[in-house]
Amino acid sequence: MTTLRWRAARLLEHSAARALVPLLCVLLLGALFHADGAFFDWQAHRSMLREISVVGILACGMTLVIVTAGIDLSVGSLVGLCAVCVALFTMPLGLPDGVGVLAVLALGAAAGATCGALVAYPRLQPFIVTLAMMVFARGLAKWLAGGQKVTRSFRGPDGDFVTVPSPRLFEAIDTRVLGDNVSVVTLIFLGCAFGCWLVLSRMRIGRYLYAVGGNFEAARLSGVPVRSTLVFAYALCGLLAAVAGICQAAQETHGDPETGMGYELDAIAMVVLGGTSLAGGRGGVGLTLIGALTLGYLQKTLSLNAYSTEARLMLTGAILIAAVLFQRRLARRAA
Amino acid sequence: MSHDASPALFELRSVTKTFGATRALDSVNLELHAGEVHVLAGGNGAGKSTLIKILSGAISDYQGELCARGLPLRFADPGAARRHGVLTIHQELSLVPTLSITDNVLLAQGGRGWSFVSRRRASQQAAQACLGVGLDVSAETLVEALSISDRQLVEIARALHMGGARLVIFDEPTSALSDVESRRLLDRVEQLRASGCAVVYITHRMHEIRRLADRITVLRDGQVVLTRTRDELDDGELVRAMLGHDPSDQVRSGPAHVGRPRLTVRELPLGDGRVSFELHEGEILGLAGLMGSFAAALLLELFGAGAAARAERVQLEGRPFAPRSPGEALAHGVALLASDRSESVIASLSVLANATLSSLRAYTRLGFVSGARERADVQLHGARIALGAPSLAADAGTLSGGNQQKLALVRCLLTRPRVLLLDDPTRGVDVGARAEVHERVRELAQQGASVLLFSSDLDELCELCDRVLCLRRGSVVFESRRGDFDRERLLRALLGTSA
Ligand SMILES: Nc1ncnc2c1ncn2[C@@H]1O[C@H](COP(=O)(O)OP(=O)(O)OP(=O)(O)O)[C@@H](O)[C@H]1O
Ligand SMILES: [Mg+2]
Repeated sequence: MTTLRWRAARLLEHSAARALVPLLCVLLLGALFHADGAFFDWQAHRSMLREISVVGILACGMTLVIVTAGIDLSVGSLVGLCAVCVALFTMPLGLPDGVGVLAVLALGAAAGATCGALVAYPRLQPFIVTLAMMVFARGLAKWLAGGQKVTRSFRGPDGDFVTVPSPRLFEAIDTRVLGDNVSVVTLIFLGCAFGCWLVLSRMRIGRYLYAVGGNFEAARLSGVPVRSTLVFAYALCGLLAAVAGICQAAQETHGDPETGMGYELDAIAMVVLGGTSLAGGRGGVGLTLIGALTLGYLQKTLSLNAYSTEARLMLTGAILIAAVLFQRRLARRAA
Repeated sequence: MSHDASPALFELRSVTKTFGATRALDSVNLELHAGEVHVLAGGNGAGKSTLIKILSGAISDYQGELCARGLPLRFADPGAARRHGVLTIHQELSLVPTLSITDNVLLAQGGRGWSFVSRRRASQQAAQACLGVGLDVSAETLVEALSISDRQLVEIARALHMGGARLVIFDEPTSALSDVESRRLLDRVEQLRASGCAVVYITHRMHEIRRLADRITVLRDGQVVLTRTRDELDDGELVRAMLGHDPSDQVRSGPAHVGRPRLTVRELPLGDGRVSFELHEGEILGLAGLMGSFAAALLLELFGAGAAARAERVQLEGRPFAPRSPGEALAHGVALLASDRSESVIASLSVLANATLSSLRAYTRLGFVSGARERADVQLHGARIALGAPSLAADAGTLSGGNQQKLALVRCLLTRPRVLLLDDPTRGVDVGARAEVHERVRELAQQGASVLLFSSDLDELCELCDRVLCLRRGSVVFESRRGDFDRERLLRALLGTSA
């Protein structure tokens, strides 16, 4: 008995093990309230994965920023901006898909880098900087889209309505592969997660990110290029917001300037559910992945059981706090 | 003994505390009596800080029991300990930097969150408390504007100010203070003892033990090795008890050879004055100074972390040297060991990542870090300096204070510096580790590196340095070569009582 408890305590020293506990609880809930077996159908899992993918991509970038003890509130608006831009570039402007995608990625990275520069050089607070960018990007998206959705039917130069075929890019992203089992967006999400994992745990810049978040002054005195590290974190976060925006446009087959509203909060929730602390210096993308699954399964279970949206939102909020409190208790116990 | 008649003021009975797999304390017994200074001695990581965290309520989950006057009790939090008259000055300072001295004093008093305070009265009281420990600044000064040693004094002032003390605990209070400043503190400790308080005092400095201790308890690896009265224990026995073996510090026999000038500083503006000096290859140059001597500021300036870059004033190997950031200084082979652990060690990062943070470029190919090579190097350097870490993957924040300092030194050494700037390198480091740190520094100088060493410990300067400069208010007031200076001369030069 005591050795069992000791073993459990040792196990809980790993933050991943602590993050898995809420996920297992949610899975258990799903299995208990399986909605006549719907929960055991692969299709439910497939669609859950598809539903969390866009926000999951944001959460990967958000992890990098949160590790530096920052926060990025602008990613939701950037999804809207980038969705509008990719739709504009590929449909009314008729640019080749590749060019459109590259331009949008550059736009996202530039927006992120702007935030990063404002955080790094005048040392403004990330919350304020990215709040401003959130408002600005949403405004820009609406202005570019002319207050409407950018679809494949639009008014041409001569004033007549024209309709072009949907870009191939959109179809390529909005399909399923591997024997119809996995959505392409899910693969893109996993790819982004892997990329961020490489950056954080295998690359030099990743060390610098943790160092800057753990203790800015000590990192500076250790010769870490603290400012460019911060710019990098926000730029990469912006780039991933652009990826998410492209995926969003592809799934909706148009560019909606209102899309992505509130996604930044879901992304932060995923990061926090994984156990990454907002204080910075700790955490990782693996944890965020677990957090994303936890949130995804929670919402799936609630929707399978036909809870209304209102009830779902309230329950999600309550369960979020419960999960974080629970993890913190576990961390205390293990220490 | 006379004490045995009455129960001890506080008593620990077979207290055990584990952190994961580490046994920080292993059935420790300790008695604290009124009117007695009880010194806790022991190497880095022996468990001293953990012990006082239990006494002060910072740790409440431990095995064994704590008794006050023979009655068992358990402090749930530091507030409970304070209500029982236990005041603590922790090793890592616990002031809020963005608040003024007055506010920090008020914070410690606790009180109820909603009670009104008379700002003026509080400010006067805080000013008085500061004067009591010999700190002469306005009570409205923000703590972040104070030097580390001033902060230490504020911390002490605020603990003493609270009154109602029955037990006062000092965890290495003088490690950041120079001899002169720590004398004032020791006077305060003696006053406390005379007023009937029990005092627990942790230090690595022998002369403080000699002066203060009524009773000494030596801890090693979480266990009590011995508890004796001062008269029953001589210095040699004490050091052996702490280390478990004989110490091996030798006095530097003189430079192997002092080469060409490496770092030339000409008329560098510093505080109210200007400094000029040359640092040669293979030389260990000491800097002595009291608070406000700007010695630490000089080191920061040379490291590119100071207020402004000053080209032309400083030359490194004949070329102008004006680093704009620490990164640039490191790229030129100039490394700094900061005195304040909160500015050198990143608590949330692993031991490994902390150690190689400054030299990471050497372990990187195409942006990717080569873990194996990195681990091997850190293991090697860590072992040479007897770094006490449970594993390289452990958070640096879980290391004991002295081991964090060693970790910071390892980080400097891994950059293979040509100029090593040391700001109080053995602050809070135990006697054994101190000898090891000295050994490394000597070895580095032997290999041709230049070392600029600021120390608040005059003995350290005497043991290590080829040459010493005494600074006062940013000017060099005294310079002396090895053989011409000793502790007394330096002290007189610092106080300005010698020609
Ligand atoms: N929060 C913690 N988590 C894990 N291990 C810890 C923690 N705090 C202390 N330890 C371990 O407990 C042991 C005792 O540490 P402690 O800080 O009490 O040493 P110390 O005697 O005060 O040393 P020093 O002279 O260096 O300050 C060390 O091995 C340390 O690594
Ligand atoms: Mg300690």
